[in-house]
Amino acid sequence: MMPSVSTMQGEAQPPCQVTCPIHQDVRGYIVAVARGEFSEASKLIMETNPLPSVCGMICAHPCETKCRRGQVDEPLSIMALKRFVVEHADHGSPKLQGESEQGQKVAIIGSGPSGLTAAHDLAKMGHKVTVFEHENAPGGALRSGIPKYRLPREVLQRDLEAIIALGVEIKTNTELGKDLTIGGLKNQGYRAILISTGLPLSRGLRVPGIELDGVLLALPFLREVNLDRQKIQVGKRVIVIGGGNVAIDVARSALRLGAGRVHMVCLEAREEMPSFPWEIEAALEEGVQIYCSKGPKSILGKDGQVTGLECMRCTAVFDAEGRFNPSFDKGEVSVIDGDMVIIAIGQASDLSFLKDSAIKLNEGGQLLLDADTLATSEEGIFASGEVATGPGSAVEAMANGRKAALSIARYLTGRPLAVAPPAEIELGELSPQIIDKIKRLPKQQMPALAVPERVQNFVQVELGYDRASAVREARRCLSCGLGTEYIEEECSTCLTCVRICPYGVPIITASGSVDIRVDQCQACGICVNECPAKAVILKQYQDEEVIERITTAIANASRSGVRPLTVVFWCSFSAYATGDFAEFVRTKCPSNIGILTIPCVTKIGIIHLLKAFELGADKVFVVGCPEEYCPYKESTSWARRKVDRAKKILDDVGLGAERLEMFNLPNVDIEQEEVLFKITQPAKQTQPDPLNG
Amino acid sequence: MIVGKQKPLPEIREMIADYGNILILGCGTCATVCFAGGEREVDILASSLGIAAKLEGKERVTTKHTVKRQCEWEFLDEIEEKVKQADAVLSLGCGVGVQAIAERFPEIPVLPGLDTLFMGMPVEEGVWVERCVGCGNCILNQTGGICPIARCPKGLINGPCGGYRDGKCEVDPTRDCAWVLIYERLKKMGRLDMLHTSQPLKDYSKMGHPRSITR
Repeated sequence: MMPSVSTMQGEAQPPCQVTCPIHQDVRGYIVAVARGEFSEASKLIMETNPLPSVCGMICAHPCETKCRRGQVDEPLSIMALKRFVVEHADHGSPKLQGESEQGQKVAIIGSGPSGLTAAHDLAKMGHKVTVFEHENAPGGALRSGIPKYRLPREVLQRDLEAIIALGVEIKTNTELGKDLTIGGLKNQGYRAILISTGLPLSRGLRVPGIELDGVLLALPFLREVNLDRQKIQVGKRVIVIGGGNVAIDVARSALRLGAGRVHMVCLEAREEMPSFPWEIEAALEEGVQIYCSKGPKSILGKDGQVTGLECMRCTAVFDAEGRFNPSFDKGEVSVIDGDMVIIAIGQASDLSFLKDSAIKLNEGGQLLLDADTLATSEEGIFASGEVATGPGSAVEAMANGRKAALSIARYLTGRPLAVAPPAEIELGELSPQIIDKIKRLPKQQMPALAVPERVQNFVQVELGYDRASAVREARRCLSCGLGTEYIEEECSTCLTCVRICPYGVPIITASGSVDIRVDQCQACGICVNECPAKAVILKQYQDEEVIERITTAIANASRSGVRPLTVVFWCSFSAYATGDFAEFVRTKCPSNIGILTIPCVTKIGIIHLLKAFELGADKVFVVGCPEEYCPYKESTSWARRKVDRAKKILDDVGLGAERLEMFNLPNVDIEQEEVLFKITQPAKQTQPDPLNG
Repeated sequence: MIVGKQKPLPEIREMIADYGNILILGCGTCATVCFAGGEREVDILASSLGIAAKLEGKERVTTKHTVKRQCEWEFLDEIEEKVKQADAVLSLGCGVGVQAIAERFPEIPVLPGLDTLFMGMPVEEGVWVERCVGCGNCILNQTGGICPIARCPKGLINGPCGGYRDGKCEVDPTRDCAWVLIYERLKKMGRLDMLHTSQPLKDYSKMGHPRSITR
């Protein structure tokens, strides 16, 4: 039988995951946060991310740009939620890996995001990995390039320790070309070598005045600041040339070092600036002044010391072919006063270590690489990260490191290097009609230090979500593609789903059948328990699983021998997750109460309620969230319909409707004891279920 | 479609009282669509009867199954083994389905779990209304597409009667008078002239039971 359109689309992945260079199961861990299952979220993150703490702070988060919640109101703060998980979840101990039978010695040159990812992946495969780092501490650009107010060093350390725990050895103060050579590494028995040395050199400028005192290059400046080598004396008025992320890091660092004023000058117009928009915003907030569409003409000086920058107007950054080829209006000149100029206009690789090697370079003087396998011209030697790809984000470098690790693993086991990446289908956009019907939920604001506090020091600016904000933010996730699965051969075409879906997701197809469009489904679950033919199921919450959980809850509650044996179906979102009720249930909840969390009361079926009584429950509660916090529409009324019908049945069979109650919590901040009271008081008046005599 | 309603649970319980092993049989067509006897209702009824039996201290085995259509013998072949194991079949199909089972499996009692009500359609989610009585002599072409036999409690073919008030029926003032609806529709169509001709006496012999047709 032909799969239905929905089934075919069901294979599609959410845009956040497809867009993530390392394909994190973003949807999976966000939904886990929304349910308060932080350890589960952590597990999902760590499955594919060797630098979760780092990514929680400084990831370029392209996932957020593609987040479909952004079509409704604002995208989810995915990066901030990752940070929350890393900071709050119990991660368990990292699994130590022994050498596998096929484990081989691999050398990785450079401990930046790419090298560390390759090291992590290869170690997990059982290879013996040594990472060589020329600085005195590992991390590459994460340590030497990124200021501490964006990435505190203990955060980086946390990730490094987890990688080291996998058996990776990191040798610092070891520079390729000086302390070791590629030939030497081969002689030491390293079967494969990965060059991931990044782009450590700053590009300079050829303008008059470049030789003046007070002219610095960005990367050496940042390195001095970030590695605490010495206290840098910045000028009173610092001019930063460049409009990228490094330029912003330099500008914000200079402010923190005591520069009274910091001016940025860049060729690009504001909207063309290559820096991330949120970084530009932060710099502006802190008082950095940005001059756009200006190119340096000369650095002005007096007595050998910088006094300012002469600029001309940049009329276009790129030429007609789209190449970087700025043009200027030399007649429009302006001067910015300053006593220090820091040049942040780009980075370059340092391949001097190759001078005596057979590794070939391309016409541009960069490493000649096989784009599919990242193999260099010499067998067993690979390259990844910015040295291979040019400038990019940390997460892109990580993805590239992973690609190299896969090639290396194949090389070490004698398999062909090239493998076609798996084809990915991305879920389409939400249709405008559906967007109109989705509840708007405000984004949780990230608490941050006030500007006057920030610019005094290098303390981290963003403070991170607390539990309640994280859960609320995660609850905004639309769970794209994780909703219903439609079984066409079971469908009686009754059109109930078409009539009741609050979002208008199910449609009648041209051939007269029904299509519940999985790419538009909001996963509320209303249609699932209303479908009379059971032709719609939820991908994540199916009858068998629920009944198994009811059975377990009753079995656990029965052990106490205390009556009334009470079962509570409790929405796992909102109060349950924000109020740490999971811990409460585990430690303080009376043993005769069995609690089942469910992702919204809409997902409870009449059969689930009856099953609880069939299995011996004396009393059953359905506990919903405050309606205004529920991301779904009509959730309470549909749940109420099920409860009312089940109550009628309980009366008809002689058990009594009063054994089943439903209530919505009055607010998400309700006290645990208050909820317990609402459950235990009515339950006390309940006679034992005669079925459980 | 045929519209039916599940019998009240106490009535079903009384009906099955003498049987220990019941096959609850759903119907995947009309009874599913009108929420009276689809797979979900079979589940709920089985669970309800299970609780009831326990409360009565009875040993009762219920088996569940739903066929595509109970009113076709060929679709009933798949339940032959289950029928053999059961003391009775509790059908959640319409009256046609119950009789088809009885004819296909003459040795087993077949109990109607539904009251079959009418031929009709849903006018909103969860609300079905009667639209046709199967008179065998359709005159909808002359009544603006609105059937006075099904929708007028008196079945008048030359209406309205004198009892309607403000467009409502005297038998049930919450219901629109079928003949007022017919008048309004013909007016919209510009065919009020059709009301100038009286309908001849209707040949009710075509409603005589049982009816059959041969292709």
